[in-house]
Amino acid sequence: MGRHQPVAKTYHPPRQVDWGKSVTRRRYMKRELTSVFLIAYALVLLFGLWRLSQGEAAFEAWRATLSHPLAIFGHGLIFVAALYHTRSWFEVMPRTLPDSAMNPASITRAGWTAAAIASLLVLTFVVVGGV
Amino acid sequence: MSDTTRDRSIRIEAMRYHPDTDSAPHLQTYEVPFRDDMSVLQGLQYIKDHLDGSLTFRWSCRMAICGSCGMMINGVPQLACHSFLRDYMPGPVRVEALDHFPVVHDLVIDQTAFLNKLESVKPYLMPATERALSAGAYNQTPAQMDKYHAYSQCINCLLCYAACPQVALRPGFAGPAALALMHRYNADSRDQGWAARAEAANADDGVWGCTYVGECSEVCPQAVDPAHAINQNKANSALDFFGLRKLLSPREGAK
Amino acid sequence: MKRSNEPITWLPFGAGGMLSALIAPVLVLVTGLLVPLGVLPRNFMSYPRMLAFAQNPLGKLLLLAVISLFLLHGCHRLVTTLHDYGLKAGHAPMALFFGAAVLASLFALVLLLRIGF
Repeated sequence: MGRHQPVAKTYHPPRQVDWGKSVTRRRYMKRELTSVFLIAYALVLLFGLWRLSQGEAAFEAWRATLSHPLAIFGHGLIFVAALYHTRSWFEVMPRTLPDSAMNPASITRAGWTAAAIASLLVLTFVVVGGV
Repeated sequence: MSDTTRDRSIRIEAMRYHPDTDSAPHLQTYEVPFRDDMSVLQGLQYIKDHLDGSLTFRWSCRMAICGSCGMMINGVPQLACHSFLRDYMPGPVRVEALDHFPVVHDLVIDQTAFLNKLESVKPYLMPATERALSAGAYNQTPAQMDKYHAYSQCINCLLCYAACPQVALRPGFAGPAALALMHRYNADSRDQGWAARAEAANADDGVWGCTYVGECSEVCPQAVDPAHAINQNKANSALDFFGLRKLLSPREGAK
Repeated sequence: MKRSNEPITWLPFGAGGMLSALIAPVLVLVTGLLVPLGVLPRNFMSYPRMLAFAQNPLGKLLLLAVISLFLLHGCHRLVTTLHDYGLKAGHAPMALFFGAAVLASLFALVLLLRIGF
């Protein structure tokens, strides 16, 4: 497509990507792989919700598994991944917004502030048991 | 203390490829006398002038403004005139043709795909109405110019295409420079061509081919920040998809 | 050039990314670590309390939003990562994973309704 014709007789290098080649690419892959952990957590919640719908015995049996060392370890990994996602999300956020008066660092900081406030709200909600 | 008084040399491994005789590129090693003020380009020029006149490469301004001498230097896309042999001492330095492009001869790549992609975004001012010469020049405030100035600095050196993994994975992807230049014109107050460029922007090979690796902005010698140009247009494209173009108040009217 | 359908999945991806960036760490910390380890009282997640939470309309909304948007966000990213590693199956993987996420979200909605008010 287009009006320019390619040069005849060229060498076409193989199309492969080395994702470990640079710091930028490695950072990108770490960011992308946090998705696996977020999916896992959502599925844990979904499973727990399903057990909740089946009554007290089923739910409490499921809840007991959350204290198993493997579950603790798994959630530890998910927690680290979630934090990394938060960090990378707010670093990227300025670049998805139009050029504005705010500099990128300020936008990132605003994101972290929002996350801190939201987290405090969730914690308060849990502790005060405002349900 | 500089090393200009001592006899020093550095090994340059240059990629060689001749379309008539080679099936694939290979590296050829040259020993080049070293002065600490020499650019990689000057190293290549020494080879061509004194060691091997057949070595073929593009260059022009020697000062990082024409965009001709883009190459992979130790695996990193750089301008040969803008990188210095002293940073690679004791060597060897590996100089290869830009990644993700067909190779014509030695270090010269075929830019055809890029030229077509560039034309597809209509990289020129498209006013809604022809302006008569008698009307004089356009006026623009500094704030209006700020909106597109960084993106107008692109020298088409193609380092961003060599860096971008999506250019390798998706051959039809318009790519960082073309999309940055598209944004440059959309953001210019003198331009009303947003609608004319929307088809190129909204395609899978347009802004949606980008996954924000961000390597393009890292290698750009002119700090154009193509990653920002592309990603701020994803929201625009998404709003446009749902028929909310009016919310963007784009400057339209040009055919 | 054909217009991309990416915006259909990109907006949920963005919403899920923002929501998870804001509260995923604290949710994982509380439900996966602090409560099971007893740092916060274990009865915070007891059946009566969780049932009351899930029966509350706002609680339903939060649970649905978290489960659905985390899945939609994660699936979009997972599919682009598969593409990054060379998977060349056109739009099928996105349709498959995104469709699965939508089905899982519907399942969550059904469960929340079954739990009642």
